[in-house]
Amino acid sequence: MKPTVEEIGTLLALKRHERPEDGYFDGFLREFHQRLRAEEAQQKGLAGWWRKTSAWFSDLGASKWAYAGGLAYATIVVLVMTFPRGQEVIPTATTPVNHEVRSLEPAAVEQLDALDLRPSTKGRTGEQEF
Amino acid sequence: MPDDSLQPDPDDDLVARARNGDTRAFDALILKYGEKLYGLVYNMTSHKEDTHDLLQDIFAKAYHSLPRFRGQSSFYTWIYQIAVNMTLNFLKKRKRRSGMSLNDLDASFQDDPALVDASHLANPEKQSKLHELQKRLNEAMLSLSEAHRTVVTMFDIQGIPHAEIARILKVSEGTVRSRLHYAHLHLQSKLQDYWE
Repeated sequence: MKPTVEEIGTLLALKRHERPEDGYFDGFLREFHQRLRAEEAQQKGLAGWWRKTSAWFSDLGASKWAYAGGLAYATIVVLVMTFPRGQEVIPTATTPVNHEVRSLEPAAVEQLDALDLRPSTKGRTGEQEF
Repeated sequence: MPDDSLQPDPDDDLVARARNGDTRAFDALILKYGEKLYGLVYNMTSHKEDTHDLLQDIFAKAYHSLPRFRGQSSFYTWIYQIAVNMTLNFLKKRKRRSGMSLNDLDASFQDDPALVDASHLANPEKQSKLHELQKRLNEAMLSLSEAHRTVVTMFDIQGIPHAEIARILKVSEGTVRSRLHYAHLHLQSKLQDYWE
């Protein structure tokens, strides 16, 4: 024989009186405050920053995938823009060097004192005379 | 039962104080809703330690999320939503993790004093039958899908009206009634062999 819906409802309603034992919430509150203090201590520093970011991200719901996509796209764009590109080098034909290369002697510097820097009064044909 | 659309939230003051860091105000909210949420989580998980841990997580989540609580629903509806969502997520993880069987559940859940009528204590035969019925009822509850168990817990055990359940679960009232209907049919068929 099947119980009616009302009978099932009555049976289930008896479970409404199910409660935790007396004093349960005193201990519960103590533990809750300990937990909050531990979380506060943890939230200082890099680990805390990461936790806050993760919590923020998980609170976003379905839109987090849009944020993640946008962030990934932005990261790729930044990487492409900033990655150093090698200059294009056209290889030239090279010929092997089979003679000795000598370094040139520095050209002799004429001594200015030895030079006659006086204006010349004689000029050749076609030259200006001073 | 607070009606979000008609009344101001009676918890406005406590919520505002808790949001400003008054932990005593949040304690008052825990004491006000703790028992109801305990009943919800316990009847969904059938496990006392899991209930305790989950309840800690639920209130911690609510405390940290208070700055984002915009008051679009009552605090009662809001914290129930957190509790239901976290419990359903927990049940999914637990199912994946261990494939929990009825044998893993609390002995206390199988031996629920709420179902033992004092008038039956003097009659061992009746008491034995009641225990058997109670055990079958709990098993039948656990054989329901999580969505169905949620509405049965909220409506039949906790006495929350359809409209409020719909608001908490963010589904239509029709969906709530339909889930209840199928859940009741399932419980009827599971209990028929033990019903006189």
